[in-house]
Amino acid sequence: MLKNLCQKMFGRSLWVYHANSGGCNGCDIEVLNALTPYYDAERFGIRLVGSPRHADVMLCQGPAMRSTAKALQRAYEAMPAPKLVFAIGSCACGGGIWYDMYSVLGPVEKLVPVNFYIPGCPPRPEAIIYGVAVALGIVDKKTAPVQFKHLEMPIPRYHPEDLRRDGEMVVYARTETV
Amino acid sequence: MVAREKLNLLKDRFGTAIQRADLPAEDRLFVFIDRASVREVCRHVFRQLDARYIISIGADDRPHSGHFLVAHNFAFDRDHLLASFLTQLPADDPKLDSITADVPAANWAEREFRDLVGIEPVGHAYPKRLVLPDGWPEGMHPLRKDVPWNHVPEGFDPDREFKFDEPPEGCTVVPFGPFHPTLDEPAHFRLYLEGEMVRGCEYRGFMVHRGIEKLAESVLTYNDIPMAAERICGICGCVHNVAYAQAVESAAALEIPPRAAYIRTIMLELERLHSHLLWVGLACHIVGFDTLFMQAFRIREPVMWIAEKISGNRKTYALCVIGGVRWDITPELKTELRQVLDKLETEWTAVVAAVSKDRNIQRRTRGVGVADARLVKEAGLVGPVARAAGVPGDARRDHPYAAYDRLDFDVITADGADVWSRVVVRMKEVFESIRIMRQCLDRMEPGPLALDIQDELPVGRMGMSSVEAPRGESHHFIITGENNRPRRWRVRAPTYQNLQGVPAMIKDQQLADMTISLGSIDPCFSCTDRMETVDIRSGAQRIWSQEELLRLVRRR
Repeated sequence: MLKNLCQKMFGRSLWVYHANSGGCNGCDIEVLNALTPYYDAERFGIRLVGSPRHADVMLCQGPAMRSTAKALQRAYEAMPAPKLVFAIGSCACGGGIWYDMYSVLGPVEKLVPVNFYIPGCPPRPEAIIYGVAVALGIVDKKTAPVQFKHLEMPIPRYHPEDLRRDGEMVVYARTETV
Repeated sequence: MVAREKLNLLKDRFGTAIQRADLPAEDRLFVFIDRASVREVCRHVFRQLDARYIISIGADDRPHSGHFLVAHNFAFDRDHLLASFLTQLPADDPKLDSITADVPAANWAEREFRDLVGIEPVGHAYPKRLVLPDGWPEGMHPLRKDVPWNHVPEGFDPDREFKFDEPPEGCTVVPFGPFHPTLDEPAHFRLYLEGEMVRGCEYRGFMVHRGIEKLAESVLTYNDIPMAAERICGICGCVHNVAYAQAVESAAALEIPPRAAYIRTIMLELERLHSHLLWVGLACHIVGFDTLFMQAFRIREPVMWIAEKISGNRKTYALCVIGGVRWDITPELKTELRQVLDKLETEWTAVVAAVSKDRNIQRRTRGVGVADARLVKEAGLVGPVARAAGVPGDARRDHPYAAYDRLDFDVITADGADVWSRVVVRMKEVFESIRIMRQCLDRMEPGPLALDIQDELPVGRMGMSSVEAPRGESHHFIITGENNRPRRWRVRAPTYQNLQGVPAMIKDQQLADMTISLGSIDPCFSCTDRMETVDIRSGAQRIWSQEELLRLVRRR
């Protein structure tokens, strides 16, 4: 249902704002990586913007921290509706190894409503793009499925009855590939 | 026996104030000093003996010795010596003299142990809250041993806002962060502006303080911690991983196999490559040269791939265990790594040529964010920031670890002390890294990857380790303990010191240069987090009216 809603609401392009509420940087860099030439998320219309007021989507990284709780909520409120929130990385999804520390609140869903989760520590850029694409329902449109066939493995099989003498050496007269 | 010489020097001068000493190795010195003479000793070490300040550590040692413990760590770079000056404080009176007046670099570290352990630095000029969240009640110190790791005190008030200092008169306040387009991570600067000029700032950071030290002391075990240490920072994770393992190894007097040392060196340099490439890209992005940003990321990608092939992950390598490494570099990987390095070298030469000839970058960066050798000494700046000011500090050469003592490499320095020099230093270091890795690949010999450790690690021993991260020296201090986990583990990331230099770097320059000056230290708040005010008001007092300000802005 959410998928249909997303497709309807967010049309062709998605402007994302990334908010690191207290993570280790790892997910940040993978998000940046997803926007650079190799992974090039801009081909799907995904663009990083500097202000939550321009954004459709907030990418949350890092656990919800006590010290940034208010700031994160304010950034969320500044986004115009309709809006989506992605939790990227283990910390944002579930709090990570710090989920019960004294300065950590837990997963970001404790502060802002999260729509999609992309786990991983850190998730690969492919995973981030795939996650966003799944959310937008553009996976089927943008991918050409490839079916892998079982390849013929060129492993030679030798039979003792094919042993022949060739001068000084003993060689196989016939080998069979499997 | 440099350690012995230094100890004798101190003994001659201070006599009975030096209580006892421990010299576990030639390059390590632990000295217990009398509480009354801490300040004097530290001043002498910092000023007369010209040591570099590293960090101060506060520890709750009450369950074991009935005392609190404070350690001031210094490095004698030219003598290849790391020294720790420890003081025991009685449990009912955890106070000691602040050394910040003599050693300005100790500002944050003292405020940190005031917050976390509850040791009062007497005479600190600015004992404001540094680390803990704003709503945290006074008098609760999470790093004390009687406080569980997940304990949030009753009085915690999530709505309390941080109280900022009054801005100097006539200055406009511009908030910068916590979520700012040029900052990856949350940190908040309040800039005091006079027109376009930054006259001072107040920093509220430590928003990424996740309490990893407490976690290590109460939940994790020795071999869990390297993986957690990697999560201190997503960019220079391997550095913390190696530094932690080395600190434990130095405490337990373990010698790692040579192949493990070479593999650690290769992975550390691989990380430096990806970090420097990333930084040059980001710096170009900040000054608006996006093509190069994209190029740097394109060139960087094969480095990530090879790291994945070696360790199974693009960033968090999970490399070390105590006594060795977990991943081997097979002959196939060796060949592939060489190819990656060859390709990177050619492509990077092109980028360096492009950056060096670009007039726009140079105009934006020359003479901006100056941190001269004096500031380097006072604030304890490390890494490319120090080297760009002509201070040749490099933990790889000064405090050799892993296989660096067996390798031939240069410490790159520049003398401009500005952002441009830092760009140059980092660009050249990429070539040095490539050179180091090639040497490692040539010299690596077959052998075991890790020690087979049969016994429990000794208890109550202290260890120190410095590792040159891409951003500067990363320092770990450890006291080993019972239950297969350390009693105290303290991480000092390079940004911890470098950030303290930022207010001085951005003072009296334009607001537009703020981001690149901050970016030039390659800030890594997650490493640091664990605030700074320089309320400087210089020159003639002048109060700008709204109209005057507007006119000024429009004229520019």
